[in-house]
Amino acid sequence: MFTFAKAWVEERGVSLRAVTSSIRPPPPSSIPPSRSGASVALEDVSLSVTTEAGAVEILREATLSVAAGEFVCLLGPSGSGKSTILNLIAGLSRPTSGRVRYGDGGVTRPGPDRAVVFQDAALFPWLTLRANIEFPLKLQHWPADARRARSEELLRLVHLWRFQERFPHELSGGMRQRGAIARALATDPAVLLMDEPFAALDSQTREILQGEVERIWSATRKTVIFVTHNVREAVRLGDRIVLMGTRPGRVLHEEFVDLPRPRSSNDARVATLATGIARRIASEVEKVAREEADDAWVAPGDHRPGDPRRQLGRGI
Amino acid sequence: MRDGTLPRALAITVARLIVGYGIALLIGVPLGTSLARSRLAKQAFGPIVLGLSSVPSICWLPLAIVWFGLSELAIQLVVVLGAALPIAVATENSVRHVAPSIERAARTMGADGARLMLTVTLPAALPGILGGAKIGWTFALRSLMAGELLFVSGGLGQLLETGRDLGDTALVLGVVVVIVALGRLSEVLLFSRFDRAIARRWGVEEL
Repeated sequence: MFTFAKAWVEERGVSLRAVTSSIRPPPPSSIPPSRSGASVALEDVSLSVTTEAGAVEILREATLSVAAGEFVCLLGPSGSGKSTILNLIAGLSRPTSGRVRYGDGGVTRPGPDRAVVFQDAALFPWLTLRANIEFPLKLQHWPADARRARSEELLRLVHLWRFQERFPHELSGGMRQRGAIARALATDPAVLLMDEPFAALDSQTREILQGEVERIWSATRKTVIFVTHNVREAVRLGDRIVLMGTRPGRVLHEEFVDLPRPRSSNDARVATLATGIARRIASEVEKVAREEADDAWVAPGDHRPGDPRRQLGRGI
Repeated sequence: MRDGTLPRALAITVARLIVGYGIALLIGVPLGTSLARSRLAKQAFGPIVLGLSSVPSICWLPLAIVWFGLSELAIQLVVVLGAALPIAVATENSVRHVAPSIERAARTMGADGARLMLTVTLPAALPGILGGAKIGWTFALRSLMAGELLFVSGGLGQLLETGRDLGDTALVLGVVVVIVALGRLSEVLLFSRFDRAIARRWGVEEL
């Protein structure tokens, strides 16, 4: 009896899915009218946490101002406080000293006007993609039909309309990230905070998603703060790149990217600019590696391995 | 013995099991949640819960009888104590291991406090809580059998005791078979549905 019931459910599940994917998605509508960006500023913000080893300074006197509608990339090695800045703006953590300003006021707690896209997408595994996108709207007490209309719109915006009834584990990494972006956009935030959202994706998928983020940003003019450790990604996307240094995390340098959009990672001008910035941060990265590796660190240029094929068998 | 004794005993046992297990869930899940989330609760109850959960719950029967006499209350205390503690321990563990990014994502959408707990943390911890609920169920059944064996109370345990008094091994084995069937049936009726839903949503391979 139970195997029969199971078979029935499976059959129904499969046929439902077959029906959904055979229906053509409605034509993509233009991007819905939305709240445009708000300005964000950090004024001498420091953050220390107390661990068993004592107080650790995570961010020292960071000052940063992001104009409304600007696309800013925070670029730096791990440990430079990039994600910390995002958390501070999101209201997920509070600064030890200094002020975090947002629009006309200060940041005191998290809110749906500042949405975050996490590196691991953080979609809820027990909800379908559609339910995930509608979740923040549910928290805002939107009526069911308005939620449905909004999620429909967003699913088309990120080209996932066909996959709306799938659970997150049934989606690819790139699709999950697009779903997370749609969920972040659901409440029409003024600021979109992206924490290395594409770091775990293959380069082709990353390129496509970068294009989508650029397109969505151009259309909605939201303020985007995008954290990455990928120099080319920062140059490809940002109006401005903020270079961060480590130990403690701090703002080192800012660079404007004055290239026409839409850009491509393979553009020669993007590559040239990226090379310059990469050189700048190389010394910072080396500092970290030296600290983490202790004595085992070999500075670049100290060793010349040559062609490994020629070394085969040598020294046996 | 096929005069309705067995069905009646079975009905009594199942009713006790459902009541006791229900109470155990109502205590165990909130207790485990607060252990995972409140430093105060952890410090106050953490060691006690872990310590007590290693005490076989039947050890409470003498105390329960002193307090409540040979009553339903006494036997329910044993069932509840037997089931609630493993449920609490499993709940604590699974709530603590919910991916931080899941909760942070929910907080950025404006969820906090009880709403965050009910709509995000507990659903995210559900696979682990279900594991605890299953263990709790078997613990409840065991505690109940032991309790029923030890004092006259109707139920399957008493039927076992009768079988012993009469030297009727067929009766004893028959009751054991009924208990096995009860365990298996509850698995099918109660848990397999959740198991399948979780497997489908979380993407666990079904055997």
